[in-house]
Amino acid sequence: MNTVELDNITKTFGNVTAVDQLSLNVPSGSIYGFIGPNGSGKTTTLRMIMNIFYPDQGTIRVFGESVLGASSDRIAYLPEERGLYKTMKVREVLRFYGDLKNGKNVAREVDRWLEKLDLSDWADKKVQTLSKGMSQKVQFIATVVSKPELMILDEPFSGLDPVNMEVLKDAILELQAQGTTVIFSTHDMAVAEKMCDFIFMIYQGRKVLDGTLSSIQKKYGSDTIRIRTEDGKQALSDLPGVEKINDFGRLQELRIAQGTDSQEVLAAIMKRTRIEKFETIQPSLNDIFIRIAGPEAQEVSHA
Amino acid sequence: MLKTLKIALREYKATVKTKGFIIGLIIAPIFMSGSVIGIALLKDQVDITDKKVIILDNSGIMADYLIQLAEDRNQQEVYEPETDKKIKPAYLLEEITPNLDDPDAQRLELSNQIRAKEIYAFMEIGADVAHPKADRATSRITFHGENTAMDDLRSWLRQPVNDRLRRYRLEEAGIDEAEVQDLFYWISVEGMGLVTMDETGEIKDAERTSELEALLAPLIMMMLMFLMTMMGAMPLLNSVMEEKTQRIAEVILGSVRPFQFMMGKVLGGLGVALTVALVYLTMGIFAVTKYGVEEKIPLDVLPWFLTFLILLITMMGSVMTAIGSACNDAKDAQNLSFPAMLPNMIPMFIMFPILKEPLSTFATWVSLIPPFTPMLMVLRMSTPVAIPAWQPWVGVIGVIIFTIFTVWAGGRIFRVGILLQGTPAKLGNIVRWIARG
Repeated sequence: MNTVELDNITKTFGNVTAVDQLSLNVPSGSIYGFIGPNGSGKTTTLRMIMNIFYPDQGTIRVFGESVLGASSDRIAYLPEERGLYKTMKVREVLRFYGDLKNGKNVAREVDRWLEKLDLSDWADKKVQTLSKGMSQKVQFIATVVSKPELMILDEPFSGLDPVNMEVLKDAILELQAQGTTVIFSTHDMAVAEKMCDFIFMIYQGRKVLDGTLSSIQKKYGSDTIRIRTEDGKQALSDLPGVEKINDFGRLQELRIAQGTDSQEVLAAIMKRTRIEKFETIQPSLNDIFIRIAGPEAQEVSHA
Repeated sequence: MLKTLKIALREYKATVKTKGFIIGLIIAPIFMSGSVIGIALLKDQVDITDKKVIILDNSGIMADYLIQLAEDRNQQEVYEPETDKKIKPAYLLEEITPNLDDPDAQRLELSNQIRAKEIYAFMEIGADVAHPKADRATSRITFHGENTAMDDLRSWLRQPVNDRLRRYRLEEAGIDEAEVQDLFYWISVEGMGLVTMDETGEIKDAERTSELEALLAPLIMMMLMFLMTMMGAMPLLNSVMEEKTQRIAEVILGSVRPFQFMMGKVLGGLGVALTVALVYLTMGIFAVTKYGVEEKIPLDVLPWFLTFLILLITMMGSVMTAIGSACNDAKDAQNLSFPAMLPNMIPMFIMFPILKEPLSTFATWVSLIPPFTPMLMVLRMSTPVAIPAWQPWVGVIGVIIFTIFTVWAGGRIFRVGILLQGTPAKLGNIVRWIARG
């Protein structure tokens, strides 16, 4: 069963088409990652799911109903820009947000989450005294305190240090384990690869990727050679059958053109230098992202 | 509805718990009545520097009389008898011969003396003042000084000059002044209220109405309404703009509909205004009871006052939240808050002609224009004059319709504006949002 179903939705702002004929199904209990460059339509899509924006065309169904909207208490939303009343105390603002969602046992839940995210000492301090990372955790608590069935998180990890990122990641996984469906957008491909059951990429308002990580990688095939040689990048220039070299200093990744045998590429390299390490790999999500939305792709699209 | 109330409660608490609100509660009435208090306190702070005035008497009948009268005044009024302290300036009047060959040169010379602070003023008495002719130049008295519009000395001269002319004319007619002493007795027209009948059937005399009494109750009512709009509705503009720019609105909109959000803010503002009203009205009723002047307060207007206040705050609150949602920074807010304040400002500008004639056609029609109705109708109703009973009812219906419109239009602006970052808050955009939603 799907928690969210988008059917052919389009949203325009003036002359700009932010989302173009997008269809998407988010299965219940899954973690669905939204990726895409800045301005590609991620936040607009999330806001349409929340019914903060209305699509110009197409239909949106959440929990099988078409008119739920932002005011549904079953859905929680963490916007990209954090929004907390600065002059209110942490506990006060969290109870206010929890009450607005008609959450049950809000006071107890607030204290439990403050304890869990190591913020109990700050409960009676004003929001304006918190660091950016702390504010972000408080905002996260504001989202989960009403025990929503669907959580929509817009860039939940941006600006967090690795420790806090881990804390938040564990919290999200715990909520998923309890049956919550999670949709989150991120620019961190490694997080998306590790956490998401499904990944959806939007680029210039259109869906360009949708599926599990393995299905996406399968689509691109094992077209990448990761190699370490004695002479590094300089020994690899102008190799026939190589589309692109990604240089990481001590090792390089070569993208092989379609129809080229990787053994031929290897033989050509061996003529130039000694090979220390060699493996054929599937492209990473990061690589796929850059292939779709990087400067190279933009040159092709503008050609 | 419950969510709207939760937002209203937060807004209310956020406002009334601040020190600024409590200080404002005390300061605002002092500030509003500051000019009245200031005038009362400073009325005795007069300039006691002696004032030398040159008289050019072309009539030949006036100068000696005025000089004598000024000397009498200086003897009696300039020094306080008990303390011998100087409390008023002495008027030093001096006559010089008018230069008939070149009067303009003489006037310029005297004007220059005034500029050089050698004299205070000069007055020129026309040759024909006793029997005015068609030529105004010779039939008038002029008083020249640096600022003669509100001059005490010029005001003082008014009676002596006319007394002298009257006496001169009596002499000319051969009438003995002692026979017509009453000629110099001025009678004023006293303002009285209406005669009433009490519960026992006894007819009560009309009471004397002073200007202050006639003005005070309406002015207080109107000032209170203005003050409550300033404290209840105006802050909503900045509050909403802050929620928009700090992205709080986006979080709130994850829980409530835009209209609930807006109405929550408006109700919060209304709560603040009613709290202010409660405080001031309680204090006011306590004060009038203590001083035994209950009958001076138009208590029958109070329900109307509260009804119009609620409608006014709802109307202005919707406008302010809508504008706040359209603004991106303080500059936007500044540009738009002035036109938005006009429904509050215009009644203040036109209140005096309405107070003077509360039943005039102008007063009636302007008080039936919905944005101005709450303040002006209450102003008119608080005057001692009884306004036709249908007018407040028609006014309230008009205001209800207009308030529904502002809430509707405000809601449409709010829904679009609150999430739109960077789009300038131009009037054209706002009108488009109302039209298209």
